[in-house]
This record gives sequence, structure tokens and C-alpha cells, in this order.
Amino acid sequence: MAITAVTALSGETLAGRGLDGDVALAARGDQPAFERLYRTHVARIHSLTRRMLSSQEADEVTQDIFVRTWQKLGQFRGDSAFSTWLHRLAVNVVIERRRSFAIQRGRMSDDEDALDLLTVPPARADLTIDFESAIGQLPPGAREIFVLHDVEGYKHREIAVMLEIATGTSKRQLHRARMLMRRHLTGE
Amino acid sequence: MTVHEEWTDRLSEYLDGELTADERDAVEAHLRGCAECAAVLNDLKRVVARAGSVEARPPQADLWAGIAGRLDAARPAESPGRVMPFAPRDTRRFAFTLPQLAAAAALLMAVSGGVAWQAAGRLGSPAGLRYGSSTSAADATPNVAPPLRAASAERAGADGNGAADFARVENVSMADPQYDAAVVDLEKALKAGRGQLDASTIAIVEHNLQIIDQAINQAREALVADPANSYLSSHLVEARRRKLELLRRATALATETN
Repeated sequence: MAITAVTALSGETLAGRGLDGDVALAARGDQPAFERLYRTHVARIHSLTRRMLSSQEADEVTQDIFVRTWQKLGQFRGDSAFSTWLHRLAVNVVIERRRSFAIQRGRMSDDEDALDLLTVPPARADLTIDFESAIGQLPPGAREIFVLHDVEGYKHREIAVMLEIATGTSKRQLHRARMLMRRHLTGE
Repeated sequence: MTVHEEWTDRLSEYLDGELTADERDAVEAHLRGCAECAAVLNDLKRVVARAGSVEARPPQADLWAGIAGRLDAARPAESPGRVMPFAPRDTRRFAFTLPQLAAAAALLMAVSGGVAWQAAGRLGSPAGLRYGSSTSAADATPNVAPPLRAASAERAGADGNGAADFARVENVSMADPQYDAAVVDLEKALKAGRGQLDASTIAIVEHNLQIIDQAINQAREALVADPANSYLSSHLVEARRRKLELLRRATALATETN
């Protein structure tokens, strides 16, 4: 296992570098360039894994995503923005993870009791964490579709392909998730 | 289902512009006369707006060290014999080439009985030992195969060899005494050489071992419930390979610095 000292990069340094250049460098095996890409994108990727999986799994899966990115960078043709390509790859890894470990078993059930799962939140100052906590309490099927559609901006047809479900199922689960999140916001 | 539910169930589609013109007109007509449904719609708008503005937060701990430690192994084909840097210990800096590490690992394996494990080929499938041969559908590169997966061909892997790999890894053994013995021996060797490594290196190694062990345990548990799942089998093989590789390299480092 190669162990490389973490390079401290200031935000000023990052801002001064062109990411396209770093993508090209990293694709040729430049690890410092890849570290810069990591530091630029890790917040979004980690947030995705945290919301789709759990805080406990997010660190490990985020690391897997960036290692997978490193492996696949040579295949990145630049047809889309690097951030878009990376995010799509990350979604793939997360979905595969969920599927592999059967986290989502029964995710599409129409269990009406699921509507009672979301607890009414206490008033808290940190609304971001509070909202994320509420996402984490959604039933798995509703949760992944809510994150993919309302947080990450994917369309129902894209989600249907990713999750191998019907578009109508995606719409129903999204509405279920929103109604649950409504309880969170309104405290009903 | 109440009358209100019949309408509220359509509000998300209304909000997202998914209804036909006639359906939209009907919903809007209802909303004009129903304060309750109008209130629900406003709440849903708030939810959507909130979700769209939720900020990304970085992980609490810096994950880079755990990534950097896996990069050389992840793309060996592009950099054969690349010098692999290790964190400086005191003022010295150690660097090893892949052949050096391979030689050290081979020696340790011979001592520890790992050679027997390898000869037996219990994990000797290409999917288990070859770098970068993961068979996960998640390997599909987005701009190579835009729809993320679904097709079995994609699930087989990007290099076209995945289907064969899948067939091989399906028979991976849950219990492998020879593998376990090799791991135990390497752990002992690492423990003996622990004093030769600096604290930060030990911390990184232990952290990664912990992560790998967690992955192994999860895969084992999942395989108990779904023993025919080929992805789980390949995941278990990969996790075990990672653990052996990490132990080999860390032990080689400790031995080399003696």
C-alpha cells in the first residue's frame, strides 16, 4: 500500500488552477492533480453517499468512488463536464452498493405505515443537518428517489433506468417522500 | 382514500409539470376552491425548494490518505514498475518499486504459508487477483455507457471479460483456512515489525484494515442471505485481496526498514 503524505492545498491554490488541466494530468497518472480533483469534488460526492446510504458508510464508499474514478479516468472523453461524469459514476457505485447489500429490499412496498416513520423534528438551529437527518429517516425507496430527483436533479425517466423501476413507481415514491418531508418542515 | 387525497396525490406531478393540460386545469380548478389542498401544495413547494438548496458538506475526516494508498494498485498497467512513495519516517524517505514489493511479499508468503494458499488457487481467479478487474456494474463508465446499467453485458464489466470473471468468482469459498492462515501470519509479521513504522503510517494501515474488515464482514453476511449473488462473491474476493495486499505491503515496508 503506497502511503503518500497528504498535500496541503489552500483554496487560493485550487482556485488558481484549471480543473480541465488537472483532469488531463490525473488521467496520465499525476496523483497531485488527482488530489486536487478530489478536494474540489469530495464535498458533493460525500454528501451524495451520506444521503443515499448512511453516515457510517459514506466515508468508505466515497473512497471507493474516487479510486474507481482514478481507474476510469483514462476513459473520460470530455463529452460532458468532468463533474457530471464523476457524479454519474458516483451514483452508479452508490446504487450498486445499495443493491448489493440488499439495503433496499422491500423499498417499493406500499406500506402505509412508512408515513409514520418520520419523526417530527425539534426546533434546531442547524437546518441543513436537520433536513439531512430527516432525509435519512425516509424509507429507503422514497429516500433514494427523493435524493436523486429533488436534491440531485435527475429526471424520473433517468431514475427509472438507474433503479430499474417504472417511471410511475418513481413518481409515487417521490410524492411519498415529499409528503413525509412536509411533515418534517411543518411539524405536523 | 379521501377526496383530498385523490387531489393531493397529484400535486407532486402538478408541481413538476408532469400532468397533461386537461389534468393541470382540473387540479387548478380544485385548488381555487380548496384551501387545504392549496396549503399542501405550498408545503410541497417548500420541500422542493429546500431540497434543491441543501448544501454539500465535506466529510468530517480527510479521506485522501485512504484513497492515495490505493491509487498505485488501481492502475498498474499504466505505470509498471512505478516507484511507490511512502510517507517519510523521521527525515528518511523510503521508496519501493513494484518488483521489490513483489519480492518481499513473495518471501513473506513463503514463510507464512501464503504460497500454499496461492498454489491452491482458492482465490486465484483473475477476478480475485488481477487489478482493475472488478465486475461491478458500477464500473460502467458514464460516457461509455450512458444509461447506468440494466443490461447484463454492462454488469459483466467494461473490459469484456467480466462475464467469465463472474462465472469464476461465484464459487468463492466463504471459509478459506489457507487464506486465513496467510493473513494471520502476515499480521504477526506486521506486529513484529510495527516498531519500524512511524505512527502516521501505522494509523493509516490500521484504519484501512478496519475498513476492509468491515467490507469483508458485510459481504459475508450478505452472502449468507444470498449465496448465489455473484457480485457479492466478487466483492468478497476483492475485499480479501485488498486486505492481503495491504498486509503484504505494510509488512514489506516494516521488514525493509529493519
